[in-house]
Amino acid sequence: MNRPFVPWLLLALALALAAIYLFPLYWMYVTSLKTGSEIFANPPSFWPAAPDPSIYPNTWVRRTMGTFLWNSVVIASGVTAITVILGTGCAYVLARYRSAWIDIGLFAILMLQVLPASVMITPLFVGFNQIGLLNWPRTAVVLAAAAKSMPFFVVLVRATFMSVPRELEEAALVDGNSRVGAFFSIVLPLARNGILVCAILTFMSSFGEYIYSKSIIQDTALQPASVGLSGFLGPNSTDWNSIMAYSAIYVTPILAVFVLLQRRIVSGLTSGALK
Amino acid sequence: MKLRTLGLMAGIALGALGMAVPAMAQTVIKVWSIDGANAPGVGDTLSKEFNDANTDIQIDYRIIQFDDIVNEALRAFATGNAPDIISLDNPDFALFSSRGAFLDITDRVAASSVIKTDNYFEGPLNSVMWDGKLYGVPKYTDTIALFYNKDLFEKAGIAEPPKTWGELVDTAAKLTDPSTNTYGITFSARAGEEGTFQFLPWIQMAGGGYENVNVPGAVEALDYWKAMVDSKSASQDVLSLGQWDSTGTFNSGNAAMAVSGPWELDRMVEDAKFDWGVALLPTQTEGGPRSSALGGFNYGIFANSKNPDEAFKVLEFFISQDERLFPDFSSLPARNDIALPETGIALKDAALKVFQEQLQYAQPRGPHPEWQKISKAIYDAMQAALTGQMSAKDALDQAQATIQGIVG
Amino acid sequence: MSRILNSMRDGVGFDLILVGAAMVFLVALAGLPLVYNVVMSFQQVDMFTLGSLVRPFAGFTNYVAVVQQPEFWLVTKNTLIFVFASMAGQFIIGFALALFFAQNFPGAATIRGLFLVSWVMPGLVVGGIWSFILAGDYGVLNAILKGLGLTQATIFWKSDPNFSLWSVVIANIWLGLAFNMLLLSVGLAAIPRDLYEAAELDGANAFQRFWTITLPMMRPTIGAVLSLGLIGTLQQFDLFPALTEGGPANTSNVAGYWAWQMSFQLYDFAKGATISVMMFVLVLFASVVYVRSTRHEVRG
Repeated sequence: MNRPFVPWLLLALALALAAIYLFPLYWMYVTSLKTGSEIFANPPSFWPAAPDPSIYPNTWVRRTMGTFLWNSVVIASGVTAITVILGTGCAYVLARYRSAWIDIGLFAILMLQVLPASVMITPLFVGFNQIGLLNWPRTAVVLAAAAKSMPFFVVLVRATFMSVPRELEEAALVDGNSRVGAFFSIVLPLARNGILVCAILTFMSSFGEYIYSKSIIQDTALQPASVGLSGFLGPNSTDWNSIMAYSAIYVTPILAVFVLLQRRIVSGLTSGALK
Repeated sequence: MKLRTLGLMAGIALGALGMAVPAMAQTVIKVWSIDGANAPGVGDTLSKEFNDANTDIQIDYRIIQFDDIVNEALRAFATGNAPDIISLDNPDFALFSSRGAFLDITDRVAASSVIKTDNYFEGPLNSVMWDGKLYGVPKYTDTIALFYNKDLFEKAGIAEPPKTWGELVDTAAKLTDPSTNTYGITFSARAGEEGTFQFLPWIQMAGGGYENVNVPGAVEALDYWKAMVDSKSASQDVLSLGQWDSTGTFNSGNAAMAVSGPWELDRMVEDAKFDWGVALLPTQTEGGPRSSALGGFNYGIFANSKNPDEAFKVLEFFISQDERLFPDFSSLPARNDIALPETGIALKDAALKVFQEQLQYAQPRGPHPEWQKISKAIYDAMQAALTGQMSAKDALDQAQATIQGIVG
Repeated sequence: MSRILNSMRDGVGFDLILVGAAMVFLVALAGLPLVYNVVMSFQQVDMFTLGSLVRPFAGFTNYVAVVQQPEFWLVTKNTLIFVFASMAGQFIIGFALALFFAQNFPGAATIRGLFLVSWVMPGLVVGGIWSFILAGDYGVLNAILKGLGLTQATIFWKSDPNFSLWSVVIANIWLGLAFNMLLLSVGLAAIPRDLYEAAELDGANAFQRFWTITLPMMRPTIGAVLSLGLIGTLQQFDLFPALTEGGPANTSNVAGYWAWQMSFQLYDFAKGATISVMMFVLVLFASVVYVRSTRHEVRG
């Protein structure tokens, strides 16, 4: 393993793999810069004949993307907040004990998520209507989507808590702390990294929430970017290039954040490995 | 029950807040349609004009995507949140009218000076009728015919567009040229309403109908379609392309003929760098019976509308603007008393004449309350045959069995 | 009273509150809709009764009707293929990438970061992009395959019954790869280095080290990844309408999409609910079998 060229060989291989993997992303950007008929040209061109970047500002303005993206941020923040507040405590308890009941609890949390959102939406809509929650559509979507992201969060954060040594919490209890005190002053700070990372992941995946928003939020001014995108993916989709431009604007910021943060994400999660 | 009261109170409180601003009593009419998503359409434009001109009635307009509008309406209706007026694709209309979810407007129309049933084409009018009663008004209509690339026809030495199914298959084969990536023909046989929309006319030309799909001529038609796909005269992707994308390949010169409708005209005038024309759909035999699909939308008023009188007034306003449908929105009125003005674009005007002739043969899908299931049986059969999973005969026989179970 | 308060602050009551809050939330927003679907599958449903629970009882007629649909067995087969192929592809490629990037070479961590992009891509966008890539005539995948000389004929990924399901599987593997790789990377990083060093001293080769150290140490991670992956795959919806709409002739239709089609394209809500309940029971059954089979294993 001490041959000096091996790491560089691995690097070359890594770059090649990354190129293959990222090709769909590249294709999104290229397609956004092509003209309407160039998109359907056969064979396809790998580089647009006359790239026109003005499509980005145009799409941004014409599709009022500012409003849509803001709503996405609001919804994703709400989902993350609820998931973290409810999920953290639940994960802590599920990590603290080992018994058949804990297994059943975990199993139930996973099982409650088996049905796809597309078949959950009708009962949720009817229920929200009964309690008048449809008047606050974004809140309704946040509640529904938080229930969807919960199991993922609980499973990951539970692993983080498992890596916090039991002895530390017990020592704090011996020192006269209450359970509540020990939880907030000892256990939570130790698991902070893992929770933070899972929160970021929850935020990012709920940024793309689509099915619930589409049915529950009727007012265009309150809809997230995913619904805004689907609004012009209809049967007579005319401008595929601006659809791709929209997609590019939609995903590029979160991609950038993600790539910048990825090292911390992995190390944050490894501090409490999945057990 | 208690929760419901709470919700109601919250709703009233909110409503009160909203009402606090305008002092005058105002009736709000909710209108849902698919118009206005990509470009200004009929529903959004007219609603805005109506709001500017009226103070006692205001329209609350909402755009909904084509794929979602029926679901949204069903859910809203079931929970008491339905809009007052909705505009639906014509085969979806019977789902509501047959169950009395739409207001019976027979008497109102009879008394109306704006809406007269005599002015409408028979097909569109049938799609808003149920059990002899009138549940809506046609909004606009369309149909499909055969687009052909005149330059490619000339190059191949073909003088005229095909008149019969057999000629169509031969012509498509002659025009196919893999070296230039040109297919002879393109159409849409996708797994959805568009697939049925394109194939049902062929069943009808052969003397069948939606309740009778396995007539011998329909099997023959499906075999012709399969022959075109198998011989690569048509791309296999006709099975997944919608009409708009399918015709896109015609516009870029990758297909010499395309089956599609007048909604393509504006884009084609812009994109197609060749001379093109439109012909009536070919028939089974020379001079045989014609048919085509009937597209287009209808307006309906929901039966549980709290302000049916005001809603009908809004509807009358919409209909009173029908003359503008074509010049302003490139949509064809479903009426025989409105002449379409010349656009000055020769290709488009010539094409429109053909479409208007084709429209006379257009037959509605249904009306049937379970149309979507019938439609799925038809497009599933079409796809099973085109992909070679079943013979055309077996596929249509199976579809017929399914449809028999639905129509009884 | 004070005992209860005390327990909440300093005993099992505290645990119960923490779990209870999350459970109440989940039962309300995931459990009740599930029950609603189960109830609906035994009833006749139409647009007038969609909003209430009181509907005519239908017994098992919905179930019988679903099984009698001509496409039932095809959809069942497709669902199994879709779930297994997607999960296997995501897991194997994800694991291979995780192992690869665990090697020490310049830029490993940064390039690994690039492999996480599919995590944050909304399914809707991914579906749109792959729809272009997999198109038959103007699709770039065919252009590449032809350019490399791997195929002469145009492959109609979305329209050929032999490929349609696989085109969704390919897109889904791409979509789920980031999730699998990230979680498996995390698991790998947690294995103490000295275990490997000790094994190397004992003369174990790379394969033996993988088999005797990596895999056993990763068992809990793998369990979590696979169970979350199963749920993710069953919930996959956005790719279907974007790519094949379940066609041609249902050859790429799976239970989740079929249930949606029944409810929202054919407006047969009872059958849609029935399919989703059948799907649920199947997963429940498979999970119970799996859990029972692991019960005999020794806990580490």
